[in-house]
Amino acid sequence: MAMRCSRCGAQIGNSYVRFNGVLLCEDCARELKIDEVFRRQNSIFDQAFPMLDEFPGVFSAGSDLDFANAKIRCPRCGTTLRDIESGGQLGCIECYNTFNESIMKNILKRQGSSEYMGRKPGEAADVKGEAKQDTPVQETAQVKPEVKEEPKAPEANNDDILTKMKDADLSTFTDQEIEDAMKKAAAAEDYSLAVKLRDELKSRKEGN
Amino acid sequence: MWYEKEGNNMDVVLSTKIVLNRNIKGFPFPPKMSDADRENVLGMARQAAGTMGLNFVRTDELEDNAKEDLYNQFYAGYAFLNSNAKTGYLMSKTEGLGVIINNTDHISIVSMVPGTDVVTAYKRADDLAVQFEKSMDIAYTDKFGFLTSQIKSVGTGMQLMMTLALPGIEKTEGAVQVLAKRVEKYDWQMIPMTHSDGIRENGIYVLTNVATLGITEQEIIDKTRKVQEDIIKLENSCRKNICTKKKGVVEDQYYRAYATLSYCRRIETAEALTLINWLRLGQNYIDTSDADLDWNKINKLTQKVRRNYTDSAVKGVRPKDRASARAAFIRDIMKGGQAS
Repeated sequence: MAMRCSRCGAQIGNSYVRFNGVLLCEDCARELKIDEVFRRQNSIFDQAFPMLDEFPGVFSAGSDLDFANAKIRCPRCGTTLRDIESGGQLGCIECYNTFNESIMKNILKRQGSSEYMGRKPGEAADVKGEAKQDTPVQETAQVKPEVKEEPKAPEANNDDILTKMKDADLSTFTDQEIEDAMKKAAAAEDYSLAVKLRDELKSRKEGN
Repeated sequence: MWYEKEGNNMDVVLSTKIVLNRNIKGFPFPPKMSDADRENVLGMARQAAGTMGLNFVRTDELEDNAKEDLYNQFYAGYAFLNSNAKTGYLMSKTEGLGVIINNTDHISIVSMVPGTDVVTAYKRADDLAVQFEKSMDIAYTDKFGFLTSQIKSVGTGMQLMMTLALPGIEKTEGAVQVLAKRVEKYDWQMIPMTHSDGIRENGIYVLTNVATLGITEQEIIDKTRKVQEDIIKLENSCRKNICTKKKGVVEDQYYRAYATLSYCRRIETAEALTLINWLRLGQNYIDTSDADLDWNKINKLTQKVRRNYTDSAVKGVRPKDRASARAAFIRDIMKGGQAS
């Protein structure tokens, strides 16, 4: 996600200043007279041999402006709040308790919801749709699987697909799947299903 | 290789990849793990592999040609395969399926399929995830779901990525922006792909899901199918439009690209991908009877040019030798060879 200037809202490129936790673009920083970092940077690059006493000024200006969040640490792994705010990288499970508030903010900003709705551990998700048969890896000279083959699951036949289509909510199938099923239904002389699928396809096309 | 198998809509969607991240309670996440912790997790993975029918390998014991195999087939990244950070890999007997141990998370199940078959990719990964969850104490809370080392994947722990070849959309003014906005509505992100040598891969984009909380696995899959359908429709109409309105230009560029790829002796990645884009653009919409080319060849060319272990190896191979080697396997594929 692109960063934006907190003052003017413009998208921020490589040059920005973080001042008291507020992100400012180069133009706004200059207007607010807190553009020391940029000015010093230019003056260094303009000179063939920059004066050594310029450097501490640049670095101390940076450390005064931000990094206060570098002091808040996870008691277990030492990850700082700054690590999380800058990269979204956590160090251990305990970080979820230590930085709960910051993590929630990050999640809400990025995803718009913080409520877990997925499956529980050890319970397979009930995902609709057919999975293809597994293709075994071809053994190469370099990486050879050492495990035995398991019997393959039998492929679903036409009747299974048509039964599924009859009962399922058709909006969960793609155009291609419906078209294929329509042909199969017609071949199996299940004309009521074929008509239903044709109408679904037609309404989708008209909808577009 | 898994990506050479037949898949749906592979003229637009090169591959669909699902990564399910899981972590084991009692250990810090990999970036903060000690060597002893890493060894313990590797030991647990080795034990689990035995009961799950997977083959365990330590990456620091892998031969170079084995690393090349894993890298070229997109199973793992170059940095992961060449780090000495006590990492491992579990190989499945199913093509396109594997488990990365101790990378960003303790367990990252990677499932890839050619084309759009997201249900197959998900079910394969989920089967393995359930087995890990039953045999190990996996980090999970009712509030956050599966706890991961990166905030962006906490919840379902699921990252879904589609690699798309969109020369039609890219060559149509404003179409990339239209598509980017469209996919945002489904909570997805579209990112231009960058090659390992830093260049932009023309016409190649990766689409990733953003939401991992407030959404079920079924909803993610349903949204994926809708996004896929929208993209395929838009790309095909852009290709058709360009090939109808600029038929002469596309035909000329198609055959120039065909000839260059068939006879080149040295070629850079960027140039090869640009030429392949012209082939992809015209293949279904112009008269290609003078060219001995099908979608299998085009897709194989695309993936082999994009993912080449020697391109990522910084030392050892001179740029001109890489360009020569690249030209050689491209010529081989154009002639119908295997270019393994």
